[in-house]
Amino acid sequence: MSTLELQHRVEQFYYREARLLDNREYQQWFALIHPEISYSMPGRSNPMVDNRERGQESMISVERELEGVESDGLPYRDENYAVLWVRVDRSYKMNSWAENPPARTRRIIGNVEILEASDESLSVLSNFHLFYARPGLKDFFYAGQRRDQLIASGDSFQIKRREIVMDISTVNVPTLGIFL
Amino acid sequence: MKIDLKELVNDDASLISRRVWSDQTVYEREKRAIFARSWLFLGHESQIKTPGDFVQAYMCETPIILARGEDGGIHASVNSCTHRGLPVCRSDHGNTKRFVCPYHNWSYKVDGELATIPQERQVKCKPNKAELGLKKVPRVESWRGLIFGSFNESIEPLEDFLGDMTFYLGAWIDRFPGGIEFVGSPHRWVIDCNWKLPVENQLGDVYHGPYLHGSLIAPDSEAGKEIDSYAYNVIPTPGHGASFRLMPEDSPIEQVAWGFESTVGQLGSDELKDYLRSVQTIAEEYVGPIRARMKGLAYGVYPNLSFLWSNAGFKVSHPRGPNKVEYWSWSVVPADAPEHLKKQLRNNHASFFGPGGVLEQEDAEAWMQQNLGANIDFADDRKFFYGLGLGEEGTHPDLPGTVTTGANEYYARAFFSRWRYDLLAAEGEA
Repeated sequence: MSTLELQHRVEQFYYREARLLDNREYQQWFALIHPEISYSMPGRSNPMVDNRERGQESMISVERELEGVESDGLPYRDENYAVLWVRVDRSYKMNSWAENPPARTRRIIGNVEILEASDESLSVLSNFHLFYARPGLKDFFYAGQRRDQLIASGDSFQIKRREIVMDISTVNVPTLGIFL
Repeated sequence: MKIDLKELVNDDASLISRRVWSDQTVYEREKRAIFARSWLFLGHESQIKTPGDFVQAYMCETPIILARGEDGGIHASVNSCTHRGLPVCRSDHGNTKRFVCPYHNWSYKVDGELATIPQERQVKCKPNKAELGLKKVPRVESWRGLIFGSFNESIEPLEDFLGDMTFYLGAWIDRFPGGIEFVGSPHRWVIDCNWKLPVENQLGDVYHGPYLHGSLIAPDSEAGKEIDSYAYNVIPTPGHGASFRLMPEDSPIEQVAWGFESTVGQLGSDELKDYLRSVQTIAEEYVGPIRARMKGLAYGVYPNLSFLWSNAGFKVSHPRGPNKVEYWSWSVVPADAPEHLKKQLRNNHASFFGPGGVLEQEDAEAWMQQNLGANIDFADDRKFFYGLGLGEEGTHPDLPGTVTTGANEYYARAFFSRWRYDLLAAEGEA
């Protein structure tokens, strides 16, 4: 498969995923999730700049702000297939009060960049902007980057790893528990 | 606007005005009467282990630097330059020798002492640097590594302030031979609600659980039945509170041990489960037979610290005006747990609580919606009802404090009685 064709297929996969999520079709979305999924969102803090790294890009790297699943810090989310299923399942319960009435979301996925590709597995970056309106509350804006591992599945993909880097300082949205 | 506190909270605190939750004048009075005078939680000693370590904290809206000084002591200073008032510490955490104010580069040691004034050499009359350090928090004390500060120089010692709350906090903390440690940075979450509602939620509001969180904890589930059968609310001192289940002596170990009711316990590795059992096996040796059977729910320490037992988190509700909080939550793990298990245990908290948590997103929804109700017009004559179980409180031979069933709202009446007393006393009206 050509690089162009692969890029096209990955983008189409993400557009379809975005449509399912914005349409609240989470049960269909869940079919895109690999049973061994690691779905995480690093915590993000503002650590002291290391004086010894002056003049180098590492001094202000994004990585040093992240408290991901491999770190000793505290991620916002660190979830597997079972926990994601709980989130899908409760979306369709009458008494899931944080989702009922449901929020209106619209997301734009962009900057899709395939970093590595083999026949079975892809390492892909993508960015998102998401508008979020919960009835009765204000409107909110989410922005961030997704760092995915996609696994080939038939003529499409499944998501086996997703790390969501949120561009936030203090959390100023009503929940980080949405599907991103 | 003038306020009549006895109108806002009635004598038995069974009726609470909406304005308690939304009024700017009430809030200004809370700052003077409570936040300027009480012990307030700052952080844990495990966050500042070595000299030069610091973390940011708040006392109400006032930014605080909590640091381990070069002398090894714990210092809390107001994060505001003596020269022009800018925050001198611009990071959430780290290790440093100096904080440098960006404006004119006055520099301070981590303990708050003023070290250098770059412009000093240009003037003849030298400022007395010993008097120009950051404002110190005058009282700083810790119990079991939990550090509190107070702007009230004459406040009672921290242990007296905590009183029998130490019995209940110790029931969890003391069962770990190495104590506890805080993991990473706190999650900081801005929520449109009054600071007292997250506090009340953890203080003893056991019975919102099966209803607000009914999609996860149904009233007729095992967890719901356990609460019906074994839950107590204990108020050691008005304003503090501990809710827990006192499990029967013949309970299976997984039923009583900490950690098994969370997703981490349920989905965790066999090694993790073995560890949780081993903690319970020695619990009686460390905390005695009664406290070893305690299976906690949530606690509150007056005015704004909360502790979640099952999901191992400490939380502080920092006010940001009457209608907003910055809610901080830390994940807490046993300090002597193996490092790789700590990585599983830390998720005890984040999977259910904090801004990404399945449960707490529902709490935040309820708190934001209550804030809407607290700000409406034309309903001041319809106060919030806090009367469930009025007069039904009692005692228990093994549990120090006033003891009630889980559904009794005495925990909240006691909080608001203390709150009203404090607000009156600060103005000499008590």
